[in-house]
Amino acid sequence: MRNHRRRGLTALATIASLASVSVLAAACGSDGDDSENDGKVSITVEGWRPGDEQGTIDAVNKLAEEFMKANPDIVVEPVEWEWSAETFSTQLAGDTLPTTFRVPFTDTKGLAERQQIADVTEYVNELPYADEFNPSVLAAATGTDGKIYGLPTDVYGVGLHYNRHLFEEAGLDPDSPPTTWDEVREDADAIAEATGQAGYVQMSANNTGGWMLTTLTYTLGGRLQSEDGTTATVDNPATAEGLQMLHDMRWEDDSMGKNTNFEWGTINEAFAAGKVGMYMSGSDVYNALVTTNQVDPDSYGLAVLPLSDSPDAGVLGGGSVAAVSAKASDEEQAAAVLWNDFYREKKNYDPAAAEADAKVLAESDQPIGTPTLPIFDEPTWQGVQDAIAPYVNVPQDQMSSFREGIFDQNLIPEPSSHTQELYAILDAVVQKVLTDENADIAALLADAQGQAQALLDS
Amino acid sequence: MSARRSAAESRGITSEYERGRPLFKVGRTLLNGLVLLFLVLVCLGPILWLAKSAITPTQDTLRHPLELWPNGVDWANLRTAWVDIDLKLYFWNTVVIAFGSWAVQMLVAVTGGYALSILRPRYGRVLYGLVLATMFVPAVVLLVPLYLTVLDMPFTHWNLVNTYWGAFLPAGASAFNIALVKRFFDNLPREVIQAARVDGCGDFRLFWYVVLPMSRPVLGVVSVFAVLAAWKDFIWPLVVLPDPAKQPLSVRLPRLAGVTELDVMMAALLISCALPIAFFLVFQRLFLRGGLDGAVKG
Amino acid sequence: MSSLLTRARGSASTLVFLLPMLLVFGLFSWWPIVRSVIMSVQQTNLVTDPEFVGLDNFRAVLEDPLLSTAVQNTLWFALLALVFGYPVPLILAVIMSDVRRARGLYSLLAYLPVVIPPAVAVLLWRFFYDAEPTGVFNSILGKVGLGPVPWLEDPAWAMPSLVIEATWAAAGGTVIIYLAALVSVPPEQYDAAEVDGAGVLGKVWHVTLPHLRGIMLITLILQIIGTAQVFLEPYLFTDGGPNNSTLTVLLLVYRYAFQNTTGGDYGKATALSLMLALTLALLSLVYFRLTRRWSE
Repeated sequence: MRNHRRRGLTALATIASLASVSVLAAACGSDGDDSENDGKVSITVEGWRPGDEQGTIDAVNKLAEEFMKANPDIVVEPVEWEWSAETFSTQLAGDTLPTTFRVPFTDTKGLAERQQIADVTEYVNELPYADEFNPSVLAAATGTDGKIYGLPTDVYGVGLHYNRHLFEEAGLDPDSPPTTWDEVREDADAIAEATGQAGYVQMSANNTGGWMLTTLTYTLGGRLQSEDGTTATVDNPATAEGLQMLHDMRWEDDSMGKNTNFEWGTINEAFAAGKVGMYMSGSDVYNALVTTNQVDPDSYGLAVLPLSDSPDAGVLGGGSVAAVSAKASDEEQAAAVLWNDFYREKKNYDPAAAEADAKVLAESDQPIGTPTLPIFDEPTWQGVQDAIAPYVNVPQDQMSSFREGIFDQNLIPEPSSHTQELYAILDAVVQKVLTDENADIAALLADAQGQAQALLDS
Repeated sequence: MSARRSAAESRGITSEYERGRPLFKVGRTLLNGLVLLFLVLVCLGPILWLAKSAITPTQDTLRHPLELWPNGVDWANLRTAWVDIDLKLYFWNTVVIAFGSWAVQMLVAVTGGYALSILRPRYGRVLYGLVLATMFVPAVVLLVPLYLTVLDMPFTHWNLVNTYWGAFLPAGASAFNIALVKRFFDNLPREVIQAARVDGCGDFRLFWYVVLPMSRPVLGVVSVFAVLAAWKDFIWPLVVLPDPAKQPLSVRLPRLAGVTELDVMMAALLISCALPIAFFLVFQRLFLRGGLDGAVKG
Repeated sequence: MSSLLTRARGSASTLVFLLPMLLVFGLFSWWPIVRSVIMSVQQTNLVTDPEFVGLDNFRAVLEDPLLSTAVQNTLWFALLALVFGYPVPLILAVIMSDVRRARGLYSLLAYLPVVIPPAVAVLLWRFFYDAEPTGVFNSILGKVGLGPVPWLEDPAWAMPSLVIEATWAAAGGTVIIYLAALVSVPPEQYDAAEVDGAGVLGKVWHVTLPHLRGIMLITLILQIIGTAQVFLEPYLFTDGGPNNSTLTVLLLVYRYAFQNTTGGDYGKATALSLMLALTLALLSLVYFRLTRRWSE
């Protein structure tokens, strides 16, 4: 069942307000900053995704109430929100973002540089665990000026998500997912052959094509940018090898289906509908598959990505930073950081908080136990895992390949400079390879290399 | 002017005599029949297919898109779409936006047209010129500056983003409407207006009791096109209403498409075009005839 | 009647009647037009004060490798729209004008797609265009032994696919315009042509089409102006892909302004908008001269 909200009243109220122009002033003059009443601070916070089921919404609201009980001076209103390359900058300009929201690691520096998110260093430093962050994770929330622009709240490594039912139908063992790209290719072919569904699908649109091509490149030991973000290395053998593999799967094996235009949300929907054998996405995507797409838990499997023999091969790691609107007042900024600590961060650090959180989630049947990566050190992470163990309700044995393998893999951050723009350039490359049998990969990469370098030089 | 001939009066391309010849008759009937078949298949077909799929389970639509209900009808889709993905909310939002845009457009066009055509201030020609000049600037090109204006209104610093005023008010700036209404007023019988003036009618009474009652035809045309345009609008509400709870169907449907099961999505699409189709059928005369003078000569 | 008092009161009430128009046009049309000129020479992030940058924005747009792609795609779209979309309404209207009974039904059917909200139409057609052999269009083609066609999944097919849907959605409006013009053909001209021994095709060629010449030119220019602003189809069908093969000028404007995830580049967006506007204004000018001449 999907969510069922009653907002018809808003519409009726608007019809009524048409009559009086004075309402215009009220509606536009002070939208959302009634923060003055009785010294309370009001903030809106990222609550749930569009399309989430009612249970998810209830759980967030319940936690908000708990938070307000503990902080009587703060009023928290969770709202529907999801970061999307499509709408983010409109909301940014329109000042219609919640007070606090999560942005990908890739965007923190750019947003900070353009003064679009607030410097919250002082509030973050007040938190008990401020100096215990994994340095490479905290770096993702730090601007080029060295100040902190939010709390890094979740870290993922990319994994290979696969449909166990399709594996069985194709005569493959769902408990031994592929461990090399050659096996991925063979299994994809077998699935397409036996079931008529796409054996392997890769995202290609809205910057996710670039994101996943970067991931594929990393697994083959390549990089798309120098570590300091000044030199583009798009035209490298690993990327070419990855693209060639995609080309062969799409055109020689015909194991990727005929529809190739997918992004994060649509590929999840297709996977949950049983139309995708395997795809790459963040390790935490299972949560969305459950709350938004109602995936059948029995069909789900998660494995680590195959890595090549190259010593540089690794898996792409990323995450989100809970940032605060640059337009928020000091009190609102402080309140927002407190909320993020309560709702998102403390449970990554404090086993008791993690257990309390899991309890609330369990009551509304929200997924608990989806693989994440440490934001602090590994013992802290392990402590939290142990605390929530009794509440785990996701099929963890079907994720064992990932859970056991990920700590042996080299975690590589995303390109640091102009990341989303680089991804947009790579989208076109991936799309070309997937839609044109005669695509000239070498020429495509040479061209993309020029564009990417121009981007960094600008 | 629009000397609209009745079908009997207008003779058409073929003559009475030609239509009487047996071979010609067959050929002409065949051609007309083919065109009718073409129109039914191409124009009506997709909508009928949509209506069928809206009450067909997903797997049937996917596997046998051209078959009629191989495994029965699923009426529940319509309810699921209306209630569970909250289409009713977006439907009402669309109604509100259409109604508000209509009201603003009517107000601006009728008062503006009246002032320019009947009251004729000395600066009227310049003003009309400035209004017509906006027709040379394609609306979409104004997207960004208009957005930034609505974001922070001059003088008042109101932010109309995420308010319905942000959707209604810019719709009023339609030079097409002003031109249509002004031309219509220009052609009203001057004697009636003179007579009213002699009887001591002021500007307001003249407007309310004399001009408005005579303008029903043009108001009808402006109205139906205003409502339909608001229902169809996409890019402006996309930009000005980022809050999902305020968005109209056009903006919301593409978002929902990624997270909604196919059969429910088809039901949602059907519901979204049901009202415009009904509206068109009711006011077809205005759409198919009334708009012509404007469309041709606007 | 013409005493000073009534004059003064008259001009005051004139102002009252003009007020809605002045306000709405001032705020939502005239000011944004002026503003786009100002913004095209500025750089702004909406937080700090805008900075004057001269012609940098124009230069940046002209140097963008995507610009020529976008211009070419837009021209390609316009050309295809002419090839598919221009003759069809004309032929339909000429045949329909000779239908005696039930012409209303013909017009009703022809106009029906026009009232479907474009977002609904695109989402529906996106499903029709499913590239798998089991897709709706591919199933139909399959029945007559054709296809499957990759539709939106191929850089060469994507644009024609968009144009077919756009034509479907818009042709009805043009049919109705032609029909209106055809009703006003003087019957005597047909009579005269018959006396000269003209057949049906002769009459169409020598009477109907010449009569439509003016309106045909107008619809031609209107269509070019319309297609130059195409946005919704590429945005909703393909988001400019695959490989930017459906990236249009307006989509590029939208990307500059609204799709940069670290904040929009409004200077570049308005600069490109202005360049497009100037081109279209020239076309509109031609259009206005023509309508004036032909409507008299």
